[in-house]
Amino acid sequence: MGMKVKRVVTVLAVAALAGAVLATAASGAPRKDPGITSTSILIGGTFPLTGPASLYKTIPFAEKAYFDYVNDHGGVNGRKITMEILDDAYDPSKTVPLTQQLVEQDKVFADFGSLGTADNLAIWSYLNVKHVPQVGIATGDSYWGFSYKKYPWTVAFQPDYPGEAKIYGKYILANMPSAKIGVLYQNDAYGKNYYAGLRVGLGAKSKSMIVSAQSYDVTQTSLTQQILALKSAGADTFVVFATPSPTITALVTATKVGWSPATFINNVSANRLFLLAAAANGAAVDGVISTSYLNSSTLPALAKSPGVALGNDILAKYAPSLVSSFQKGDGNVMYGLAQGWTFVYALQHAGKNPTRASLVKAYKSLNTSKNPFVYPGIKLQTSATDNFPIEQEILIKWAGGGSGDWVPFGKLYSGVR
Amino acid sequence: MGVRRFTGDLSLPVLAGLAAACVFLVVGCLSSSIFAQQTVAGLAQGVIYGSLALALVLIYRATEVINFAQGELAMATTYIAYQLTQWGVSYWAAFFLTLAIAFVLGVAIQVTVIRPIQHSVIAVVIVTIGLFVLIDGLVTWKFGADLKFMPAPFGNRVYHVGAVTFARQDLGTLVVAIGSVVVLWLLFKYTKLGLAMRAAALRPAAASLVGVRVKAMLAIGWGLAAVLGAIAGLMTEPTTFLQPTMMQAVLLYAFAAAVLGGLESPAGAVIGGLALGVFLNLIGQYIGFATSELRLPIAFAVLLGVLLLKPSGLFGHRKVRRV
Amino acid sequence: MRLPRIPAGLPVAALAGLVLALLPFTMSGYHEALAVQVAIFFIAILGLNILTGYTGQISIGHGAFMAIGGYTTAVMSHYHHTNLILTLPMAFAIAFVCGVLVGIPALRFSGVYLALATFALAVSVPQLSLKFSKFLGARNGLQTSKSVSHDWLYGVSWSCAAILFVLAWLVLRGRTGRAFRAVRDSEVAAVSTGISLPIYKVLAFGISAAFAGVAGSIFVLATFGYAQPDEFGVILSLEILVGAAVAGLGSLWGVLAGAAFIGLLPFISSSAPLIGSNHGEDVVRGLIVVAVMLLLPNGVAGLLARLARLRRV
Repeated sequence: MGMKVKRVVTVLAVAALAGAVLATAASGAPRKDPGITSTSILIGGTFPLTGPASLYKTIPFAEKAYFDYVNDHGGVNGRKITMEILDDAYDPSKTVPLTQQLVEQDKVFADFGSLGTADNLAIWSYLNVKHVPQVGIATGDSYWGFSYKKYPWTVAFQPDYPGEAKIYGKYILANMPSAKIGVLYQNDAYGKNYYAGLRVGLGAKSKSMIVSAQSYDVTQTSLTQQILALKSAGADTFVVFATPSPTITALVTATKVGWSPATFINNVSANRLFLLAAAANGAAVDGVISTSYLNSSTLPALAKSPGVALGNDILAKYAPSLVSSFQKGDGNVMYGLAQGWTFVYALQHAGKNPTRASLVKAYKSLNTSKNPFVYPGIKLQTSATDNFPIEQEILIKWAGGGSGDWVPFGKLYSGVR
Repeated sequence: MGVRRFTGDLSLPVLAGLAAACVFLVVGCLSSSIFAQQTVAGLAQGVIYGSLALALVLIYRATEVINFAQGELAMATTYIAYQLTQWGVSYWAAFFLTLAIAFVLGVAIQVTVIRPIQHSVIAVVIVTIGLFVLIDGLVTWKFGADLKFMPAPFGNRVYHVGAVTFARQDLGTLVVAIGSVVVLWLLFKYTKLGLAMRAAALRPAAASLVGVRVKAMLAIGWGLAAVLGAIAGLMTEPTTFLQPTMMQAVLLYAFAAAVLGGLESPAGAVIGGLALGVFLNLIGQYIGFATSELRLPIAFAVLLGVLLLKPSGLFGHRKVRRV
Repeated sequence: MRLPRIPAGLPVAALAGLVLALLPFTMSGYHEALAVQVAIFFIAILGLNILTGYTGQISIGHGAFMAIGGYTTAVMSHYHHTNLILTLPMAFAIAFVCGVLVGIPALRFSGVYLALATFALAVSVPQLSLKFSKFLGARNGLQTSKSVSHDWLYGVSWSCAAILFVLAWLVLRGRTGRAFRAVRDSEVAAVSTGISLPIYKVLAFGISAAFAGVAGSIFVLATFGYAQPDEFGVILSLEILVGAAVAGLGSLWGVLAGAAFIGLLPFISSSAPLIGSNHGEDVVRGLIVVAVMLLLPNGVAGLLARLARLRRV
């Protein structure tokens, strides 16, 4: 009996000790990552504040405004977020040293929101080798989501381009089965990925339905040649996979050469301001179809949504210079707010004392439909094997001509990718 | 010391080739509406290349240098026109006001930064590259790089002739650009100023002996080049819209057009521009291999080909090098 | 027989070499990366100087040769997993051949026509990677199979710079250098003293392109091994020419200043106090280029020479 009690006590004691050791190992004094203290967290990214893509420069400032708002409301677990915004002018060879500056000089906790496909490609392996989170990157290529095994520190944000193009394909197949499609696409990975997605969406009929596909180069000063070629091939449906400025030119040119097809443009160029500009320059814009995954500050149906009200409040206080473009329907500002919200959400779910690893883990286990800046009903969802945060989009159609707006229609398309 | 003839005859084979090309285009246009439409669109683009090429040629004839900032200067003056319209000036008033401002700007640049280093071709080339960067930076700083829009100068009307559609915009561009070339030609041919400028450009020493103020003439040359650039910029705006990079690609095509026509021939520059515009559109339409990424390389391949066969361009004259 | 004259600058160069070798121990990774940028432009400007400064042939197309060198490294490493060091001499050789191939037709051009012809190269070569997108990876580029550390890059880039500098010095001080200068100063006089114009002009093009090729190779390695057409845009060619002008054409001693000017300015001037961070860079860069040409027409090398004369007086 005495022996037995002694043994039980010993076992219990050993177990308790082991438990205590394990507990300390789990909770006590974790390895400190750079860029984070008990009161602050430093993040940074590279953006095209100047150069050919500088129309996206409102994005980082909207993100920063959102962080300032969060900071004034106590931060995240007492930590205030500081965001460094560096200008790489959309030039990958500048992105590289600037990112080195962020990581090695300024010692940021994470690279957040960096914009541009080529720019992110250039720093992709570097950040992953250094185990620096590369989160919320602003590009819609699909390999960010698919390469999670080789690049575990990278998580994107927006729906991917081929997935979006598939929606157009499916929509045309279902609603316009006799369409003769003419495609205009930018002659790089961006345009070609979109074009490939469209063909997947059209399935077996893609060969017969696409009557002509024309590429354009970013150095072109006019798109008339391509658009005439599409028109002369007998196309009655015009699908444009381009960046904003060529998209406007394409819409204007189509009208100028007397061509009035059913038109689809990709989400990147579907900013309300661009359509207004196209209309002002003579383009027939009514009936143009695109997709969206963001809330809208101009649509009557959404004007009273909490996201729009919150956005207006935040911008009025923290980024007054963005208010007017937000109210005119500049989707880039909404995009920045949505990105900022998502980062804060991930940080909140990365534990009391976040590490770089726990932040990425939180980014890979998103599960919320509360982001007020995305289209109502869209869910942010990721898992260990699904690295596409947004996989739902809604079709939108332009109505109202030169003073009009996008009108959402149909159901949410899910499983985009 | 290079000696140049300055009689303006074309050589016979070139003239014959041009005539053949014209016949080909007319026949093509009559037999196919898409051919006709591509040709018209090509002309509208080409005339813009030609205007900027003409600006390059004006400066080259006078000082044997290439102004790499010509396109950026054109872009900057277009922004000036935009600012004027923002202040409530009507489009055409802003147009002519801008041309005057461009003239002053061109003269000022020549006097302040070009004249002191005029003796060295490479120094001038590098200064114009510096100006390129500087102007680009200034405009981006002042106006930002996002798209801006001006009122459409010719409205958005479209005309139908048979199956062919003509945009008023394209026709207007053709008229304005060709009009400005004709005005310039009249100036050079029939005014005292024009005569003095030609003399100063071609025989500076002799010209100054007979009392031509050579320095002033060179400055005026830069002013006129800037005016032509401003016209090219304003006519480009309706298709690319206002952005700081709008004239960079146009400048590249203008280089090709200027060399094609022979850097010393104003008529050659304009014809070179038109030919290039039409040629690029037609091969884009009819030759599958010539996809968009090859547009610029093809333009420059044509340039290199012409240079190798006829180093002084289609309309230039061979320089005689004397020992 | 005459002993080779050792220029006054040589001890200075040796000292500079020593400092460069010791620097990495005190520098952060970021500063090392900047130093690598300077080394890249040092090599490229050195190459352009041989062509433009010593034989008087202007080139606005050296970005194209950098692209050729850069893609050589990327292709060899991506498809054949070649040791990265071995790709450097290969880039040198391939760019040399391309330089010679360009140099032969370039014999027919001079002055501004040559400038425009080489400019055409600068515009067209990067576009070709879009056309042959399967092999060269289009706009998203082609990546080397291995990436390298800061220290590796720093060591290799400045070693290459030193080796190529000595090579340039050896070439230019000998018979070949005299022939180059004779060609520049008067082609007619050069021919009458028995110098073969075509051979020396084409040779200069080849050597110059080869230097640019090595620079391009390191340029790609410094971008984490990505060769992308946008990196080799027209601006790059213009930058090399501007750097050569700042350095001073026809002398090797200003090259470091020219390289530092081009390599560092984007990162220094992005915090220009005068007009804010956003667009300061281009304004400052443009102003300096114009000012340098007006105030120092012979570049930094000219300034050094003038200072040296002053001291002697």
